[in-house]
Amino acid sequence: MPQAPYGDAESLFRAAHKELMRVAYALLGNRADTEDAAQDSFFKLVTAWPRVGGLPTPDEQRAYLFRIVINEALHILRYPHRRWERLGVDTDQDGASWEVLDEQVQARADLRLLWKAIGELPGMRRDVVALRAAGYEYREIAARLGVSISTVRSHISYARKQLSRTVARDWEGAQG
Amino acid sequence: MSGRVPADRHGDLLDWLYERGKQRAERVPEFDVERTISRAYAARDAGAVNFWSALSPAERSAFESAARKQVFASGTALMREGEQADAVMVILDGRAKVCLDEDGRERIITERGPGDLIGESGTVPGYVRSATMIALDTVQALVMRTEDYTAFIADFPGVPDLVKKQTYDRRTGRP
Repeated sequence: MPQAPYGDAESLFRAAHKELMRVAYALLGNRADTEDAAQDSFFKLVTAWPRVGGLPTPDEQRAYLFRIVINEALHILRYPHRRWERLGVDTDQDGASWEVLDEQVQARADLRLLWKAIGELPGMRRDVVALRAAGYEYREIAARLGVSISTVRSHISYARKQLSRTVARDWEGAQG
Repeated sequence: MSGRVPADRHGDLLDWLYERGKQRAERVPEFDVERTISRAYAARDAGAVNFWSALSPAERSAFESAARKQVFASGTALMREGEQADAVMVILDGRAKVCLDEDGRERIITERGPGDLIGESGTVPGYVRSATMIALDTVQALVMRTEDYTAFIADFPGVPDLVKKQTYDRRTGRP
C-alpha cells in the first residue's frame, strides 16, 4: 500500500531533518551556516506548502525538500561575504590558529568560484552535483531526488566537463 | 581537508568535493529540529508587518493625538472577551498575552508586543471582544476610541489596508 503524503510542513521537516542536516553540513562544513540553511529551508517549505502538500507521495515531498535545502546551501556558499565574520566556525576546530582561519578564508574565496559554477548548472543537474559534493553515492542521489541512476550518472559526467572548463577559465581570470 | 583545492585537482574537483563531503558527513553535529522550526517562525514574524512602524510619520502623530496613553500594570487586563469593543490599541511598550476562556480554563493563544495593533474588533462599532488580553509586564499602550478611529481612517484611508495586512500575517502565521 502506498504511503500517504505528509499533511503539513512541520511533520515533513521533522521526518527528514537528520538527513537534511547531513546534506547541509557536508556542503557547508560548519554549524552556524548549517543552522541558517535549515532555518531558511523550513521557511521556504512553509511558503511552498500549497504546492508541496499537494504532491502525491511522501518521496516526492522529500525530494522537493532536499532540493530546497540544496538551494539554500548553495546560496550560502555562493554569497558567503556576510557570513565571514563568523568564520571561526568549523566548530569542531575550536581553538584553530589564525593561520588556519586565514587559510579557510582563502580556501572559501577559491571555492566560491566552484560553487558559483555548480549553482549555475541547469536544474536537476545542479542538485545531482550538489548531492555528489555532499558525499553521496549515485544510487543514494537517485533515491533522494527521485530519478534513475543512469540519469544521475549522465548529469555528473556532463557536469564534470562543464565544471572543469568553467572553473579553469574563472580561476585563470581571477589570477590574471 | 578544508584547505585549498589542490592545483593538481582542478580536473576532478567534483571528486575532491565528494571526498570532503563524505568526511564531513561522518561528523555531523546534533541539530535541534524544534529550535530550527521556532527560529524560522520567529524570523518570519519579525518580517511581518509591525503596525506602528508601518505607519507614516503623519499617521503616527495623528494617531497619537487622537488616542490617549494608558499604562497597564503587569497582570491587569487590557480588554476582556465578550466586552463591548469600544476602542483599538497600539502597544508601545511591554508584552501582553492573548487568551480565551475555555470552560473556566485559560487558553493562551499568542502574545503581542511593541508596535502591534490590538483589539481590531474596536475598529468597527458594535463588536465585542473576541479574546482577553493580560499584560505580562508593564504595558504602555495608545488607546483610541472607535469613533475617533473612524475619523482617523477618514483622514488616512491607507490605514485599514495595513490593519488587514497585519491580521492576514497573523492568520497565515503561527498563532
